[in-house]
Amino acid sequence: MKDKIRIGIGIGIAAAVIGTLSFYVLNAGNLELSEILQIGVVLILVVSAAYILWDRIKNIKKGLPAQDERLKITNYKACYYGFIAAIWSAVGAPLLSGILFDYEMPGHYVTAVVVLGGGLTFIISYLYLAWKGN
Amino acid sequence: MKTRIKELRARYDLTQEDLAKKIGVRRETILFIEKGKYNPSLKLAHDIAKALQTTIDELFMFEED
Repeated sequence: MKDKIRIGIGIGIAAAVIGTLSFYVLNAGNLELSEILQIGVVLILVVSAAYILWDRIKNIKKGLPAQDERLKITNYKACYYGFIAAIWSAVGAPLLSGILFDYEMPGHYVTAVVVLGGGLTFIISYLYLAWKGN
Repeated sequence: MKTRIKELRARYDLTQEDLAKKIGVRRETILFIEKGKYNPSLKLAHDIAKALQTTIDELFMFEED
């Protein structure tokens, strides 16, 4: 029952993100390259999350658990890598932007880099570790 | 680490999915344990041994490095 509630919440969040993104793209007008890249990263995250949800639903339908001890460890490791990536993004993004492009990155851009960078690292780590087998 | 899970599964005519359902894990976990890509916890090793009617010592063989 818990697994079904978690999957339901996951589907709700994915649908909300897609809805918000669609609304933004339809009303944004001309998009800059940085905005297109951000939307691309968000789409990668949503598609990966949808795959994970589909995989869990498949297992529940077969009468197997959505998550077992191996996937819990995978989750913890991926969270750890995502956290490290977020910290390094927070420090590195404004620094590299200043050094390489002589551009002072605004705060909301740094926030976007931290969130998306951390999220992308988490999802790539999760999928890789789940495939490789820890 | 090597295991005799595949051999004992065949003895009792169990698929990976059947064994996974019996002990409450995902099929991929059984696959990775058989391939030596995942080391199960003590509890999981015990549950697998119990499901295959054997002991942990009989089921898992550790190789010296």
